[in-house]
Amino acid sequence: MADLSLPATPTRKPGLLAAGSAIARHRFLSHPKVRLALVLLVPIILLTIFAPILPIQKPLETNLRAMMQFPSIEHVFGTDKMGRDIFSRTLAGVQVSLLVGFSVAGIALVFGMVLGTLAGFYGGLIDRAIMTVVDIFLAFPSLLLAIGLVSVMGTGMVPVILAISLADVPRFIRLQRSQVLSLRSRAFIDAARTVDASQFWLMSRHIVPNTLAAMLVAASIAAANAILVEASLSFLGLGIMPPQPSLGNIVRDGQTYLEQAWWISTLPGVVILLIAIGLHFLSDGVRELLDPRSR
Amino acid sequence: MAEYTAKKLAQMLITVIGVITLVFFTLRLIPGDAASAMAGDTLSGEALQVLRDQMGLDEPLLSQYLGFLRDLAMIDLGETITTRIPIADLLWRALPITLSIAMATIVLSIVISIPLGTLAAFMAHKGRNWLDNGLTGAAMLIDLMPPFWTALVLLLIFSLGLGWFPASGQLDWSNPGSVALRLALPVIVLSLSQVATLARITRTAVLEVLNEDYVRTARSMGWSELRVLFRHALKNAALPIATVVGLSFGNLLGGTVIVEFIFTIPGVGNLLIAGINSRDYQLVQTLIVLYALLFVVINFATDLIYKTLDPRVQF
Repeated sequence: MADLSLPATPTRKPGLLAAGSAIARHRFLSHPKVRLALVLLVPIILLTIFAPILPIQKPLETNLRAMMQFPSIEHVFGTDKMGRDIFSRTLAGVQVSLLVGFSVAGIALVFGMVLGTLAGFYGGLIDRAIMTVVDIFLAFPSLLLAIGLVSVMGTGMVPVILAISLADVPRFIRLQRSQVLSLRSRAFIDAARTVDASQFWLMSRHIVPNTLAAMLVAASIAAANAILVEASLSFLGLGIMPPQPSLGNIVRDGQTYLEQAWWISTLPGVVILLIAIGLHFLSDGVRELLDPRSR
Repeated sequence: MAEYTAKKLAQMLITVIGVITLVFFTLRLIPGDAASAMAGDTLSGEALQVLRDQMGLDEPLLSQYLGFLRDLAMIDLGETITTRIPIADLLWRALPITLSIAMATIVLSIVISIPLGTLAAFMAHKGRNWLDNGLTGAAMLIDLMPPFWTALVLLLIFSLGLGWFPASGQLDWSNPGSVALRLALPVIVLSLSQVATLARITRTAVLEVLNEDYVRTARSMGWSELRVLFRHALKNAALPIATVVGLSFGNLLGGTVIVEFIFTIPGVGNLLIAGINSRDYQLVQTLIVLYALLFVVINFATDLIYKTLDPRVQF
C-alpha cells in the first residue's frame, strides 16, 4: 500500500537557517539564466578590477607611433588617433558604467522604497503629495529628463548619477506604492494589527520584506538602463567628459573616424551590449527564482 | 465618453502646469544664476547685468513665473539669448522633421511587428518552437542594443560601406525622394527597438487569444486560419499594441535626439544639444517643456484610443 502520510514538516531549528541560505545560494548559482548572466558579467568585472595590473597601455597614455592601429594581440581593440589603447580605455569606461549603474540602482531602491512605502501605507495627504510630484516627473521622457537635468547640474560623474537617479526614483516609488497598497489589505496584516503591532513593526517586518523581490528585479533593470543612459549622455557630450574615458565618449570619439578606424566606435559598443545582456538575464533569473509562478 | 474625456483633459492640464513649474524652478536652482552660468568667464559687471535684465532675472520670482506661464499660453516663445532668433521660427523648421521621424517610426514598426509577432504566436501555437524562440531571442537582442551604437553600425555598413543612403547633407523638401533616403536610416534605427517590443506584445496577445474557446469555435465552424486571425486574434491584440505605442513614445522622443545627433539632422534634438552647449537656458527650457508636452498629449490620445477600443475601461 502506498504511503499516504504527509511528508514530515521540516522543523525550523536555528542551524537550519544557515543550511537554507546555502541551498538558496546553490539554487541561485544553478539557475540557467543566472549562470549565463554570470558567465557574461564576471569576466567583464574581473577584467575591470584587474585592468591596472594587466600588461596593457594605460587608458590615458598616448603613443604617436601606434595611431589608428587595427586590433592586434598587443592592442586587442586597436588604437585611436592619439595611439591610445581602446581596450584599456574600454575597461576604464566599464568601471564608470558599473559605478553609475550600481549607484543609480541603489539610490532609486532606497528612495523608492522609503517614499513608496510611506505613500502606500499612510495614504491620504502624504500619498497625494508624493504621487503628484511623481506624476509630474513621469511626464518627461526619461532620457530627456536626464538631459535637462545635466544641462542644469553640469557634466561629470556625480551630476550624471543624480540626473539618472532623479529620472528613475519616481518609477520606483510608483512600483513600491502599488505593492504596499495590495499588501496592506491582506489578512496577515490584519492579523498583526489585532495583536497591536506598531506601524513601524508592520512596515519593517511584514510589508517591506514582501516588496523586496520585485524591487530587486526593478533595480537590476534600472542598473542596465542607467548604464545605457550614461553612455547615451556621454555620447551626446553631456555626460562624462574626455579625457576621462566612458563607453559613450569613446564611441563618440570614434565616430569621426568611422571610415578609417571602425573599431574605435564599434568594439566598446559590443561591450555595452554584453553587459546589457548579462544584466537582462540576471534580472530575469532573479525574478524567476523569487517568484515561482513566473516560471 | 465626454465625461471621461473631460476628466482626462483636466488631469492632463494639471500635469502640464506641474511640468512647466518644475522646469521653471529647476532652472532657477542653478548656482549663481542662469545669466552668470551662461556667460561663464566671458562677461562681468555691467555686461552681465545687461544679460540679467534681458532674461528678466532681477524681477521677483513670482512675476517671472507668471510671465513664463503667460508667454507659453500665448505661444510667445521668445528669442534665443545667444543668437536672438525667435524660438518659434527655429521650431517651425525643426519640429516637422522630428515629428516626421517619430511618426514614420511608429508606422514602420507597426507594419513590421504585427505580422512578425503573429507569426511567432502561430508557430508557438503549432508547437514549432524553434522559430518562435528564434524570433523572441532576436527581439530581445535588438531591444538591448544601445541605439547610438546600432545607428553607427548601420551608418558604417549602409552609408559608408554600401553607399545606399546619404550620411549627411541638406534636407531638401522640394525633393521628397532625397528626404526619404536621408531619413531612412534614422527611422530604421528607431524602429528596430520599437519592433522588438511591439512584436513581443503582439505575440503574447495573439497567443493568448489563440487558446480561447471562441477561437476553437470559429475554427470548428470551418473558418480559415486567416479569417480567425483577423476577426479575433488581431482585434484583441490592438489594445495592448496601442498602449505600448503610447508608452514607448517617450523612449522614441529620446531616441530622436540621438539619431538626429548622429545623422546631423536639423530637428528639435540637435536644437536642444546646441542650446545646452551654448547654455541658452531660454531655448533649453522651452524645448524640454515641448518634449514633455508632446509625451503628455500622446498619452492622452492613447487613453482615448484605449477607451474607444475597449468601452469597458473605467479609469
